[in-house]
Amino acid sequence: MLVIDNVTKSYGSVAALQGVSLELKAGEFFGLLGPNGAGKSTLMALIAGLRRPDSGDIRLDGQALTPDNLRSRNKLGFVPQTIALYEDLTAEENLRIFGRLYGLRGALLQERIDQALVTAHLQDRRRHYVKTFSGGMQRRLNIVAALLHRPKLLLCDEPTVGVDPQSRNAIFEFLQTLNSEGLAVIYSTHYMEEAAKLCSRIAIIDHGRLLAIGTLPQLMTRLPFRESLRIEGANLSRDSLAPLLSFGELTSDADAHVLTLHASTHLSDVFREAESAQLPTSSFQLTRPDLEDLFLHLTGKSLRDS
Amino acid sequence: MNPILTLFLKDIAHFRRDRTSLLLTFVVPAVLIYIFGNVFGVNRESTGPVGIPLAVVNQAAGAKSADAIITALQKEKTFRLITTSRDANGTDVPLTEEKVRSLFRENRIRFALIFPPDTESDDTFGLKVKYLNNPRNDIETQTVNGILQKTIFMAAPSVLMDSLRKRATQAIGAAGTESFYRSIARSVGQSFNTDSEKIFDEMMRGDILTASSSSADKPDGGTAPADFFDRIIKIDSEQVSGKQVKNAAATRSVGGWAVMFMLFSVSGAATSLFEEKKAGLFRRILAAPVRRSHILWSKYLFCTVLGIVQLAALFVAGKLLFRIDITSNLANLILICLAASSTCTAFGMLLASIARSPAAASGIATFLILTMSALGGAWFPISLMPDFIQSLSKLTIVYWAMEGFLQVLWANCSFRDLLPYLGVLVGIAAVINAISVWRFNRGEMFD
Repeated sequence: MLVIDNVTKSYGSVAALQGVSLELKAGEFFGLLGPNGAGKSTLMALIAGLRRPDSGDIRLDGQALTPDNLRSRNKLGFVPQTIALYEDLTAEENLRIFGRLYGLRGALLQERIDQALVTAHLQDRRRHYVKTFSGGMQRRLNIVAALLHRPKLLLCDEPTVGVDPQSRNAIFEFLQTLNSEGLAVIYSTHYMEEAAKLCSRIAIIDHGRLLAIGTLPQLMTRLPFRESLRIEGANLSRDSLAPLLSFGELTSDADAHVLTLHASTHLSDVFREAESAQLPTSSFQLTRPDLEDLFLHLTGKSLRDS
Repeated sequence: MNPILTLFLKDIAHFRRDRTSLLLTFVVPAVLIYIFGNVFGVNRESTGPVGIPLAVVNQAAGAKSADAIITALQKEKTFRLITTSRDANGTDVPLTEEKVRSLFRENRIRFALIFPPDTESDDTFGLKVKYLNNPRNDIETQTVNGILQKTIFMAAPSVLMDSLRKRATQAIGAAGTESFYRSIARSVGQSFNTDSEKIFDEMMRGDILTASSSSADKPDGGTAPADFFDRIIKIDSEQVSGKQVKNAAATRSVGGWAVMFMLFSVSGAATSLFEEKKAGLFRRILAAPVRRSHILWSKYLFCTVLGIVQLAALFVAGKLLFRIDITSNLANLILICLAASSTCTAFGMLLASIARSPAAASGIATFLILTMSALGGAWFPISLMPDFIQSLSKLTIVYWAMEGFLQVLWANCSFRDLLPYLGVLVGIAAVINAISVWRFNRGEMFD
C-alpha cells in the first residue's frame, strides 16, 4: 500500500533522513521507533505530503505523496504530535471544520461527527469548548479528527506525549480497535513499550537512517544475546547449580549467578529441573532482551539517553 | 545577593534580549518625538508651517495692493505660491479662477486667493479679495487663515493710503489737494523747524502717509482694532468643498482614526497565524487536501471582512452619535472601505510573514502603525510637516486611506475622482501581498 523508496531529506547541512526505504501493507500497525531528533517526524511529514523529499519517492497506492498532489490526501489521516485543535471552539465545531476540509458535507458529515464523538467517548461533551477538556479527552479528539474521512492509513506522530498512563492505555485500545477494523497505522514513538505493545512491525530509526525493521521476534534475533536467568543466593555454589548447566552457560559474580539460556531451551524444563534439585526457584529472575537492548546494540547508546 | 537585586538583574537580562521591548522602549519614542518635533518646528529657527500650497490669481491688472500682497505672500515661508499652470503645450500660463477651481476638485490645493478686477476701486475706499478654501483639516485651515490675514493686513495699508489719496484728489481736485498738502507741510515745517518743501514732496509721493502705517498698527500689533482692517479689506471667503458636511470636526477626523484602529485589529488577526502554527494546526490542515495559499487567502479574506465590519460599525456609530453623513455617497464609501481594509490586511500579512514570533510581530506593528499614523496625517495635517516628511507620507497606507475617506465623506467625490485613491491602495496591497507570499514561501510559518 505505502512504498517509501530511498528517501533523503536535509535541512541545511543537517541530514534528517538518509536513504530510507520501507513498505507498508494494508491493515498493518507499523511502529517507527527512535529517539527525539532521529527523523521520525520528518518521515511522517514527508508521508503526509507536508514536505517534499530531496530525493527518493513516496507512494500510496501508486500515487505520489507530495505537497502538490492533493488527490492522495483523502487516503491519509494525520495526527500531529501537538494537540492540533481550536481550543476556543467546541468539539463538534472542530470536527466540522476538519471534516469539511476533506470535502464532507451535510448529513454524511454530521453522521461522521456523531460517530467520531461516540468513538472518542465525547458525545456528552460535543458542545463544550476544547479548552475545558482534560489532556486525555483532547488527545482522543485529536485522533478522531483525523478519521472523519475514513482514511486507509493513519499517521500518528507521537500521539501520547504528555499523556497520563490511564489515558495512554485508552488511546492504545482505541487505536488497536481501529486497526482491527482494517485501518493501517504508522505510529511514531520514542517509547519502546508502546512500539512493542502496539506494533506488528517496527522500524528503528536514528540519525535519519533505518537501523532495523521487522516484527519484534525478528528484531530480537539480531541481538547476540538471549534470555537469561539471574539466580541470587549467597549460599549457592556453582556445584549446586550443576543440574542446570545443560540448559545454558553459567557465569558468576560476587552477588549472583547468571544462566544464559540456549536458544532451544524451554523455561519450563529449567524450572522443573531446578525444583527437582531443590534449588530456590523463587529467587530466579528471568531477563529477556528488549527493544532497549536492541537499540543499545544497534547504536551503542540507550534509547532513553538519546 | 539580595533577592530584590537578583530578580532586578534577571529582568534587566530579559529586557536586553527582548528586541520587541527594546524597539518599543527606544525606537518608537525616538521616531515619534522626531515627527512631533518637526510638526511643531522645534528644530527650526522659526516655528510654524512651511510651504503650504496657496494658489494666487491676479485679475486686477495694475492694482498696487494686489502686487504688494502677492510680494508679501511670496516672502512668507508658510506659503508656496502657485501663480501659474501649465497649458496643453507645456507652457506656463497665469492661473485662472477656473483652473484654480479644478485644482480644488483634484485636491491639489486647499487654499487660493483671487484678486478680482475690482480689487481696488476708484469709487470705494479699501480693497476686495476673494479667498477660496477647502477646510478639510481644521488645524491647517485655522493656521492658514491666521497667517494669510496677518500677511494681507500688513501689506495692504500702504497701498490703501494711496487709494485714500487718490480718492481725496478726485473729490477736491488736483489743485485743491496740492493746496491742502502744501498747507500741512508748511505748518509742520514751521512747528518742527524742518524743510516744508521736502515734506510736501513726500506727501505728494504718499511716503509720509505710508510711513504712518507702521507694522505696530497692524491687527497683531494691537494698536489698531482688527475690525478697522476688516472694514477696509473685504475678504470674500468661499468654502469650495465640504459645505454639505453636517459635523465637520467628526467627518474630518473619522478616516484617520478608523484606519489606525483597523491597522491594529487587522494586524492582530493576521498574526494569529503564529498561534495556529504553534498549535500544530497548519500541519493538520496541510495534511488535508489544502494548499498553503488556501490558508493565506482564507486569513486574508477574514481580516478584510473584519476590517470592513469594524469600519461599518465605526461609521454607523459616527452617524448616530455625530451625524456623519455616510449614506449620500454610500457606494464610494463601501469601495474605499474595501480598498482600505484589504490594504491594511496586506500590511498585517506582511508582518506575519517577516516576523519570527507573535511578540516580534506585535512590536513591529506598534512601531509601524504609530509611525504611519503620524506621518500619514492621522494626527496632524501633513502640510504642517517638512517637505521630506510630506514625501514620506505618500508612502503610507494611512495617508491614502485617509485621503480616500475625506474624498468620499468631505468632498462627496464621484467614483472617477476616487479612482486614483482606490488605485493606489490596491497597488500598495498588491505589492505588499507579493512580498508576503514570497516571504511565506521561504519562511518557517508552514514548516
